[in-house]
Amino acid sequence: MNFAIKLFTSTKFAVATMAVIILISAVGSFYPGGDAVFGSLPFLVLIGLLAVSTALCSLTRVVPLWRGVMHPPIEVSDEFVQKLPYNASISGVTVSQVKAHWKGYKWHEAKSPDTTFLFAQKGRIGRFGPHIAHFGALLLLLGVAVGAAYGYANPYNNKIAVIPEGGTLQVDGFALQLNGFNVSYYNTGAVQDYRATITLIDGNLVQTRDITVNGPLTYKGLTFYLYAYDSNGVMESGKASWVAFQIKSDAGVPLVYAGAVVTLVGIMISLYVSHKRIWVKWSNERILLGAISNKSSARFFRDIDSMRAKLEDYSQARD
Amino acid sequence: MDIAALEHLGFEIALGAYLISSILFILYFSTKKRRLAEMGFTLVGFGFAFQTLALAARWFYAGYPPWVNTYEVMSFFAWTIVGAYLILNVRSDYRSVGTLVAPIAFAMLGFASLQPANPSPLVPALQSVWLLIHVPIVILSYCAFFVAFIASVLYLFKDKKLSERRPVQEALQPRDSAANAARAVSSESIGVLDKFSLDQLDDLAYKSVAVGFPLLTIGIITGAIWAETAWGSYWSWDPKETWSLITWLVFLIYLHAKTQNWSSSLAAYIATFGFMSVICTFLGVGYVLPFLETYVSISTGLHEYVGGGVVAGTVFFFGILGFMILLLLATRKKPPRPSDAPPATASTEAAPVR
Repeated sequence: MNFAIKLFTSTKFAVATMAVIILISAVGSFYPGGDAVFGSLPFLVLIGLLAVSTALCSLTRVVPLWRGVMHPPIEVSDEFVQKLPYNASISGVTVSQVKAHWKGYKWHEAKSPDTTFLFAQKGRIGRFGPHIAHFGALLLLLGVAVGAAYGYANPYNNKIAVIPEGGTLQVDGFALQLNGFNVSYYNTGAVQDYRATITLIDGNLVQTRDITVNGPLTYKGLTFYLYAYDSNGVMESGKASWVAFQIKSDAGVPLVYAGAVVTLVGIMISLYVSHKRIWVKWSNERILLGAISNKSSARFFRDIDSMRAKLEDYSQARD
Repeated sequence: MDIAALEHLGFEIALGAYLISSILFILYFSTKKRRLAEMGFTLVGFGFAFQTLALAARWFYAGYPPWVNTYEVMSFFAWTIVGAYLILNVRSDYRSVGTLVAPIAFAMLGFASLQPANPSPLVPALQSVWLLIHVPIVILSYCAFFVAFIASVLYLFKDKKLSERRPVQEALQPRDSAANAARAVSSESIGVLDKFSLDQLDDLAYKSVAVGFPLLTIGIITGAIWAETAWGSYWSWDPKETWSLITWLVFLIYLHAKTQNWSSSLAAYIATFGFMSVICTFLGVGYVLPFLETYVSISTGLHEYVGGGVVAGTVFFFGILGFMILLLLATRKKPPRPSDAPPATASTEAAPVR
């Protein structure tokens, strides 16, 4: 069990799984429709493995990360500060001066008999970005699963309905009547637009609507897409005697979109928000200063260094 | 002058400017004269201005954004690449990368000029607000991945150069004054390999991926939403979708490699594969798959920029892929030859140090 968790939570395992998915997808792209590959059990198992690995990665890491980020060590040793990627020492400056001059940070203070500690951090959320993205991806996969399960259960899903001109399609509780179908053309003779005009009848509700290629009709969980039309009729007399609609029902779509957006937000947080931490330690008339950031730190360190220079100038001016 | 003629003129001037700057850069590459690179750079900027004019003119008279058919998408893609090159040169000196960028821009515009250039009125499926959003975002992500690719290849070349030079250089330095003189000249050159450290190239690649990855993610999401409205399904494993997912996964592996602090040269290889996948998504899906009789595209009419000139397109696609593979092979480090390495070290060790 321990071994299994170690395996699943390792980045190497996740990367290896992704690599296999990449290879199978590349091969699968050569098959029409793709269902033979992408709907096959081995492929679904791989996706499942990646999902488990993603979930376990975040589950095992989020709690310790939360603890570390929310309760950082404040009373730290000199060696701790001196080992930070940025570290310096200033003499002749007091802690209250640091707090007064160094704006834009919320300082946490701790005191021991002969030492004062300051700590400040920014961009904590940056550390959680990957886990937000992981959660989003899992939400998306859940949406796919929900859509597949409900779609499978819905008798109308994926059906093609042919409605003759003036005819009516009866669905659960409501009906669609086809009033007409129109093809418009550019000057060049190319098709500009397909437009079916239908009347939706649901008890007392009677509504006339257009269905176009980029404008399907959604009502009570069913979506109607333009699928085909009587092209012979249109060619001969300009009128279609029938129009076919594809019916879809996917209850998972909102979850899929929500998951995709959460993933995107998580990705952007992990790429763009850096977690910056500063420790200040005052003892024996001397300040030890140290800082670390989990991302490109050049600018952050430059800012800190200019603050250090400012404090140093201040202490010298006073002398 | 009518606007269509203006577009044509702007396009031709840009094509000519990219050609001449390519020649200047190639001359720079063989002579290392800084002035040639500066002239080439100026000319690239000149071509870019005229290409901008051409794209704007086309948008105006065609009545739809200039990224629908092959001619337009190629030109627009080239425009983003040249734009990225110019922007990167504002704050830092990447002039000499023009040796790669100028010929690539010329090749892309040249390929575009072989395509039917007449604006084709939008088919029904393309008449959507997503056309305005989805396509440029995807192309911009490709452009960012292109920058990551160039930075990664430069990284690998620099890595190779350093590993070959290190032992020999140290041994020769005190004695060989000619080599010293040559080195003094090369340190004045503006070649990126001399100018930038491995870390800087690695950092440029990472930053480009950090721009490109969210853009590709947005591109895939907007594409899925569009597919949901137009085709009735947000995902149908259409080859375009499949390959965009492959590209996304490759760069996802790249980002994981980065957070895990795996070696930078491994990351550079991953980024290179990522851009190969971009090329497959961008061109391969349209040009190679139709040759297989089994492929039935449900995206007919949407990703139609790969129409027209299928043979030229296939040659172009395999040409690019072949060039990338050659570049990658060229970055391979030579294994040390046991026959000449040990005596050389022995003799330098014995030589008195002056």
